[in-house]
Amino acid sequence: MDLIAQTLADGLVLGGIYALAAVGFSLIFGVLHVINLSHGILVLLGAYLALLFSEALHIDPLLCIPAVMAVLFCIGYGYQRFLIQHAVDRASVNSMLLTFGVALMLQNVMIWLFSPDMKSITPSYAFNSFKIGPVNFDAVRVSALIASLILLSLLAAFLRYSPMGRVIRATAQQTMAARLCGVNVRHVYALTFAVSAAFAGAAGIVIGIILPFSPNDEGTWTLNAFVVVVLGGVGSPAGALIGGLLLGLVSTLTAQYIGPAFPNVTMFLLLVLLLLVRPHGLLGNAFAPSR
Amino acid sequence: MKQNPKLIAAVVVLAIVLLAAGPAFLPPFYVRVGQLMLYSAGLGLAWAILGGFAGYASFGHSAFIGIGAFAAGLVENQYSSLPPTLLLPLGLVTGALCCAILSAVIAYPILRLRGTFFAIAMLGVSHVGAELTNNIDFFQGALGLNFPPLAPAAMDPAVFYYELFLGGALLILLISWLIRRSRFGAGLFSIREDEDTARMLGVPTERYKRVAFVVSAVLTGLMGVIYAHSLGYITTDSVYRDDTNLSLIVYSLLGGMGTLFGPVIGAGLLVFITQVILGRLLDFHLFATGLLLVLLILIAPGGVNGLLHRKRRPA
Repeated sequence: MDLIAQTLADGLVLGGIYALAAVGFSLIFGVLHVINLSHGILVLLGAYLALLFSEALHIDPLLCIPAVMAVLFCIGYGYQRFLIQHAVDRASVNSMLLTFGVALMLQNVMIWLFSPDMKSITPSYAFNSFKIGPVNFDAVRVSALIASLILLSLLAAFLRYSPMGRVIRATAQQTMAARLCGVNVRHVYALTFAVSAAFAGAAGIVIGIILPFSPNDEGTWTLNAFVVVVLGGVGSPAGALIGGLLLGLVSTLTAQYIGPAFPNVTMFLLLVLLLLVRPHGLLGNAFAPSR
Repeated sequence: MKQNPKLIAAVVVLAIVLLAAGPAFLPPFYVRVGQLMLYSAGLGLAWAILGGFAGYASFGHSAFIGIGAFAAGLVENQYSSLPPTLLLPLGLVTGALCCAILSAVIAYPILRLRGTFFAIAMLGVSHVGAELTNNIDFFQGALGLNFPPLAPAAMDPAVFYYELFLGGALLILLISWLIRRSRFGAGLFSIREDEDTARMLGVPTERYKRVAFVVSAVLTGLMGVIYAHSLGYITTDSVYRDDTNLSLIVYSLLGGMGTLFGPVIGAGLLVFITQVILGRLLDFHLFATGLLLVLLILIAPGGVNGLLHRKRRPA
């Protein structure tokens, strides 16, 4: 009984982090209809930036989140405006390949800059833990989860209530109509990309404090984001949260009860099953039809 | 320009003879490069039957390389007492059969997905395949699998495998050519242009897609079996490779998507660039491939073929 409770708790904590790591991918997918295969690289970029900042300034890595988000916001805006926009107007596979090319280049650059070795960010409270009933919680994991939930809520509020968020949602629903109402669609696309890059960076920090990372992980994080988005539904933070929690639960339960080597297999079977039964994800499609 | 069938036949035969005799005149390094070019061209062609003709760009075709290679390896080790002349056909048939069965099974769910969803689902297939091969002891993916040496004693193994790759690539080229000329090929092209309209007009899109998927998988598997033999020893990581997944798309993209010779031109160019020009700069490979991909999509989305055709047409 305790083992099940512990596994479920671990799964939910991990799931919250998966959700944050996927929300940016989901936003780009929902608004631009682009599969951003460089998403994992943006996540890792956030992790490496946080490593640099926190070592240089001797501050808690979670306090680096605003700075890292600002840097990635600018990178994301430029990336979309000057590179991806050129491919977006053509076939969807083109923009996917473009982002894959960028991912390969940046992965190579990261290997040059940071070496291919595993790195990790270690905050001062890295080895603290506490108990609620029989279940054990690590301080880092809990703080990572709290940071994830706060950031996800902020993004949801931004999309729901701010004028800019309204414009982004409008563009996603009906690009043509939004354009007719005077929305500068290219600017909105770039802005969406910037926001999602910023959240990818924040996710990188949160991931960095609980798991080791290396430039070769980028594929894993991109694939995870994709699975989360397909499970939960495209384009909404709530969908990402549901998908992320589900993925977290499935992978910890599989690792615990079937074998540590098989989380990808169960995850993929679940994914195919869901695509067949409910093609738009658990929360339906928040924005436009996507498949 | 009127096409003279006799002239074309003569050119084709001459080209095949030149290619087959190539290793006799080439230094060993270039025989190895030639092997890689033919292997890549064969894979590119097999990928293009589904990706280029029907427009279903798969991101995980290395799954079939892996399935073919491991199926052949396991069977050949089981019957290693047979003479080498029987062993290779046995491996090829087993590899092809396993690819056919598995691809026919996964075709049902996976071909319901389109575009990027299909591409990523295939990436998932290749990752799951790699994970299962690595973790189930029976497949020996983590330990590695030895292949019995098959090259005749009188022949340099490098040349032997060069000729095998050449045979495989030519077979796949022939099949692609036949498909392009057939009603089936026309059906695949109509699926690429507009699947719903094609279906409305009576093209059996589901069946055509499934057949194209299985044919593409089987041919990929055959090349995988030969590749595994040429390596002599494989682990999961040497056949289920993400860079192969990507390269297959790049070949078609570079040469011209949906054209007959596109993947061949693309494979030749890319192998030449990475192996000969950048041969000494291993650290640079990922970056160069990525840069090439980005430039291609921004500057020449039609590939080499597209560039040629654009020039030919008067402005």
